[in-house]
Amino acid sequence: MTHPRHTLNEAIRALSSDTKRGFSFVRSEGGERTFSFAEIATEAGRRASALHDAGLRAGDRVVLIVPEPQDFVLAFLGAVAGGLVPVPMFPPFAARDLRVFEDGVEHVSRISGAKARITTASLDLKLAPLAAKDAAPVITTESLAAHGHVAELADVSPDSLAFLQFTSGSTSRPKGVMVSHGNLAANAKAFMHEGLRSDPAIDHGVSWLPLFHDMGLIGFVVGPLFADVPVTFIPTATFVRRPLIWLETITKKRGTITYAPNFAYELVAKRLKPTDTAALDLSSLRHAGCGAEPISASTLRTFADKLAPAGFNPKVYLPSYGMAESTLAVTFGGFQRGVRVDVVSAKELEKGRASEAKPQAEDDRALDIVCCGGPFAGHQIAIWGEDRAVRPDGVVGHIVIRGPSVCAGYFGDAERTAATFSQTGASCSGTGVADGGWLRTGDLGYMKDGELYVCGREKDLIIVRGRNYYPSDIEWAVSEVDGVRKGAVVAFSVRGEGSSPSVATSTPTTSGERLIVAAEAATSDPAALRAEIVRVLLERFSLSAESVELLSPSGLPRTSSGKLQRAKTKDLYRTGDLPRLRSERSEPRSVTPETP
Amino acid sequence: MKRQDLIDLFSKTAAEVTEREFPPIVEATVIAELGIDSLGMLEIIGSLERELKIHIPDENLATISTIKELIDEVELRAAS
Repeated sequence: MTHPRHTLNEAIRALSSDTKRGFSFVRSEGGERTFSFAEIATEAGRRASALHDAGLRAGDRVVLIVPEPQDFVLAFLGAVAGGLVPVPMFPPFAARDLRVFEDGVEHVSRISGAKARITTASLDLKLAPLAAKDAAPVITTESLAAHGHVAELADVSPDSLAFLQFTSGSTSRPKGVMVSHGNLAANAKAFMHEGLRSDPAIDHGVSWLPLFHDMGLIGFVVGPLFADVPVTFIPTATFVRRPLIWLETITKKRGTITYAPNFAYELVAKRLKPTDTAALDLSSLRHAGCGAEPISASTLRTFADKLAPAGFNPKVYLPSYGMAESTLAVTFGGFQRGVRVDVVSAKELEKGRASEAKPQAEDDRALDIVCCGGPFAGHQIAIWGEDRAVRPDGVVGHIVIRGPSVCAGYFGDAERTAATFSQTGASCSGTGVADGGWLRTGDLGYMKDGELYVCGREKDLIIVRGRNYYPSDIEWAVSEVDGVRKGAVVAFSVRGEGSSPSVATSTPTTSGERLIVAAEAATSDPAALRAEIVRVLLERFSLSAESVELLSPSGLPRTSSGKLQRAKTKDLYRTGDLPRLRSERSEPRSVTPETP
Repeated sequence: MKRQDLIDLFSKTAAEVTEREFPPIVEATVIAELGIDSLGMLEIIGSLERELKIHIPDENLATISTIKELIDEVELRAAS
């Protein structure tokens, strides 16, 4: 097949005669349904026709809230095939989500100017209160599937908007990244062909990743359509209910490509019983990608050790770095090279340098920074200092990227677009040429020998007395303290004096930032737990916290996908609204900082 | 299974999945107040589904907020 594939619609058209390969959808109620790529093209055309008949026109935005992968993928492709702009949203999981959820839908609907909402008939009933807030007409997936006519795929150009990718963003309100057809084509080529060296004859993707998220949607729906790779989709909720289904499906399908965030490898390793591996065969895997959150080398080692009897080869690990603003993928850690780490001194990294760890140093410790690899062809990465000048190898700075995968900006948000996209660097090494077109990723990292090492997020960086601390490091350490809920810790800093009305007895420090640690705890002796946390902070980081907040379970705010929200935690702290442990409510909450 | 048996099964499963201890759980208990996040809750539901050989649709989970509502749904699914 030599059809051009400059747009997703051209990619779908190119596959419209392929009756052998396709997408299989595991249904959450059990069973599986397979659609060949030819059927996918027809079903997309059917839904495009239904959407046109509902009065929607090219460029109209439509919110998509559909839990089942089969219904989601066909509705998404139908909207794209019709020249519309789908706006995928996460489906609600639990009662608590429903309230947050309605706010989220209203927000996204308003920002995107959505003309309609596509959802299932049963979900629409549950979302009845939403109708009062958001007047967009509802179109059910059932009515799309039952439509009798199939439309031709709309002609779109590489510059046409393909969809809006709302980022769940742990630091701010969601923003709708404008992903063009050209962005999709460029990124799919980069990660499918160059990164994964995909081969339609042998490859089969297996994914349970949420489809409202870039890694699931672009990684396993869009990318494979550009590269003729068949995929089996498992509903995310089915995976969470029974994590082993992921590995069983890889075994059954002889899966070669899969991806997951760090936490999923950890969850599976934790739930796996030694007897489980006998029925598993993971030797078919060519790539086990890891991305979307900080990668822990030790988590991946544990998973690999436990799954070695099932034929898992750690060389297939593919640490990856990416973000919605750059469509999906930015760098891959190297073809079948496994997890490579740079072992650096924690003390030096605090000063912004990635220097080799010296094991003999008593007041230091070694950190494993995972290598995320180099940029794809046609793309560039640089590390900027505060002055926007390029920093040399091994020096931590702001990660900036450019190339055809970088999107045009956030929909209807000129201010935040201007602050993030199309940034200009200091003139290139004395040439006087302005160096433009860069995307500020908001992440911090360093380069070494052309490869990227990611250290954290710039906005969350805690700087105390001129030294940089990555909140994730502090959170990790506090999370290990007995009595603290694992992974339920947020560290952040506050600036200036008296910014927190709740602090009663803090010793005034400098005008710089002061560390606050908020941890969900289960303890009968809060004072002892707080003392232990203070001790750990001093011991590990020579840091004294201005305040250690012990919170009731689920006291920390989280995003829809369960990520802790640092910025929101900070806001709640400022307003004194963090839900403290009941036994804590009458006690003073601050601790007296000790100077080491 | 009697309703109390289902509550006991829920309590046992919740403790296993979250690796935490809970105060006594009764029908009136509001699930959100147990401090189980949505992923943890889904994992508990998955375990109950396997144990009881039932399937609770995601959409129905979205409106369950108390243990009573959960037990009602489990009984409904077990009967069908």
